[in-house]
Amino acid sequence: MIRKHNRRAAKAAYSVALGVALLLGLSAAAAPAAPQQSTPIIVGAKNFPEQYILGQLYRQALVAAGFKVGYKENIGSTELIDTALKSRQITLYPEYTGVMLSVTFKRKSLPKTPQATYSLAKQLYERRGQTLLARTPFQDRDVIAVTRATAKRYNLKTLSDLKRVPNLSIAGFPEWNTRWRGQIGRQYGVKGFKFVPLAGISAYQLLDQGDVLAADVFTTDPPLLGSKYVQLRDPKNMFGFQHVAPVVDQRLVQQYGTRFTSTINKVTRLLTVKAMQAMNKAVIVDQRPAARVADAFLKANGLKKK
Amino acid sequence: MSWLLAADLGVFADALRFVADERTLILEKTWEHLKLSGAAIAIAIVLALPLGAWLGHLHRGSFVAINLANVGRALPSLAVIAIGLAFLGIGFANVALALVVLAVPPILTNAYVAVDEVEPDAVEAARGMGMTRRQILWRVELPMALPLIFAGIRTAVVFVVATATIAAVAGGGGLGDIIVNRAAYGLEGVVGAAICVSVLALAADFLLGLVQRLLTPPGLRADVHALEPDVTTGVTRL
Amino acid sequence: MSGGLLLAQGEPIIPDFGEGSDCVVENRFFCPDWVRDNWAGVIQPALLQHVKLVVIAVAIGFVLSFAAALVAHRYRLVEAPFTAFSAVVYTIPSLALFQLLVPVTGLTVTTVEIALVGYTLLILFRNTLEGLRSVPPDVLEAARGMGYTRGQTLWRVELPLAVPAMFAGLRVAVVSTIALATVAALVIPYGLGYPIFLALREAFKTEIVVAGGLAVLMALVADALLVAAQRALTPWASARRLA
Repeated sequence: MIRKHNRRAAKAAYSVALGVALLLGLSAAAAPAAPQQSTPIIVGAKNFPEQYILGQLYRQALVAAGFKVGYKENIGSTELIDTALKSRQITLYPEYTGVMLSVTFKRKSLPKTPQATYSLAKQLYERRGQTLLARTPFQDRDVIAVTRATAKRYNLKTLSDLKRVPNLSIAGFPEWNTRWRGQIGRQYGVKGFKFVPLAGISAYQLLDQGDVLAADVFTTDPPLLGSKYVQLRDPKNMFGFQHVAPVVDQRLVQQYGTRFTSTINKVTRLLTVKAMQAMNKAVIVDQRPAARVADAFLKANGLKKK
Repeated sequence: MSWLLAADLGVFADALRFVADERTLILEKTWEHLKLSGAAIAIAIVLALPLGAWLGHLHRGSFVAINLANVGRALPSLAVIAIGLAFLGIGFANVALALVVLAVPPILTNAYVAVDEVEPDAVEAARGMGMTRRQILWRVELPMALPLIFAGIRTAVVFVVATATIAAVAGGGGLGDIIVNRAAYGLEGVVGAAICVSVLALAADFLLGLVQRLLTPPGLRADVHALEPDVTTGVTRL
Repeated sequence: MSGGLLLAQGEPIIPDFGEGSDCVVENRFFCPDWVRDNWAGVIQPALLQHVKLVVIAVAIGFVLSFAAALVAHRYRLVEAPFTAFSAVVYTIPSLALFQLLVPVTGLTVTTVEIALVGYTLLILFRNTLEGLRSVPPDVLEAARGMGYTRGQTLWRVELPLAVPAMFAGLRVAVVSTIALATVAALVIPYGLGYPIFLALREAFKTEIVVAGGLAVLMALVADALLVAAQRALTPWASARRLA
């Protein structure tokens, strides 16, 4: 009886080992193709509406200026899109300056000014073959939002006021907890709260349902346009600065020169907070396709023929 | 080529190290995962088992009972969870409910078929002994149907454990939280958590397979493969 | 330029992007006007991509497992490794497998197809092999008696008799691939999963209901079509099944 069981277990173990070995062999056989001669322009965008708009803006402006452009959107997390950039599956993508430092370059502390944030990020990218073009006038920072009722009830104005809230729960994208829990404890004394990870759903819905008390959201979100929610101030700039700058493969700059960079910079310069909020609202609330919104914006500002 | 193989092996080694280093996190998420799956399975059993057994006892509703399995198998979990969210909002309860919808068909269908197919001779004999309908159901049909009923539960459990991963997309918690959070846990975390889900599903399948064997009369045991996932009943992975 | 900050030359012109209907702005469960406006641009392409993903994956999966099953039918030694391989693949959660393949094959349809093909192998291989083996010995005896060669027996006797089992496998493979293909949108913006994920992120109900509903509908229709095809291909089995 025992022997039979052992034999069975051994057979199973053998099968599993064999399966793993074959799986590894297969993935090893599927080696990537050889790199191409000239570096193509492939615009990438991450996986949320503002990124689709930014991606479309840069893509369409480049096409209008006569470049041949590839486009890939909805690329997972920052780390994933950075991998895509390093392996040249994309060669340009819009990123937030604070995210560049905290996620891509794993910096623990962030510079105290927007300019220093940008410069440091640019320096770090240039060490590994990319560079930054100009940054946008707008920024899209993390902000903790609560409903107006909650703000009134606990008299919440800044992040440190959250200390006073009993049974505090904060919702945010999954990596928020690892990235900010320690910081918000150290800098504002907010500790021992429950974190609710959101891997791709609207935090506002959770706030409305009363499932969480506070949520980490972004300053250019359309729901913040009205007066339904209150944004808690971050006087110590814990969340850093989050202007957008296109990260580009340095080879693109070498190959295409100022005709390329000035096309991009012309778009970047137009992106004020108001412009970005209006475009986000069009895509998220009014459900206009990002490509059409970008098209209308570029045409209105003379970067694309009507 | 060999560097790629080495890289892949490296990822697996890192993943195992991740599981060992982050065991508190892994245990916490595994517990969430089990709670979510357990709640869904329990509700599904309460709903589907009595109904299926009763329909089987009456030998009625075969069209509904059999086709429900096919329909249930065809439902894309992500779509079900997404639609559930649109109507019910976000959180544990609603994801659990979506999982219930996915777990009901195999349990109901198996319960129906199991009771429906109990040897007519045995039922006849019981009736001849003067048993009431209720007694026939409890003392004859259900005991004889038990192995097959259990097979349905086993399928549902494996299915739900694997599918609960997707709950993370909808704020349901569980090991999926790590899998969708590559930014925080890295590829090693993603792979580590994935290994845990696989192990959990296989372990659940194996344990339930053993129980199923114990419930099966010795003469019929050849049909039960304790080590193999029950693919013929259509477990989809998510 | 090195400063990075460009002086805004006056405020940009913000054009009218067009407003959504009341239904859309209020985010009700189902807005027919949104579906009308976005059918051609969003929903239909996603649906077609989804069909393409599934058809390609199942076709390749079928060819591979069919070939493997034929070989395993002849040489029993092949069965264990192929089963082991496909079973291991089968236990990997799809959310993870798609990510695991990205470093190897990139953010491409290929990545998704490899994973989807992988998930079909176990079911198709097993069912085909079981089908081939389920032919009763006396039938094989009779075929030999009629002077059939091995090849002839395979093509004229064993394979036709294995068709129902193969179809059972195909049905499972097709519906589960339809389900799994929705998850592929985590990797590339492709198929019905893409609008589902987008809509989840924005909690936009109409899109969730339409794209999710279409995925469900597609699975049901595909399953029904396969049942019909099986009945057409194996008329001899219908008589028994009628009850």
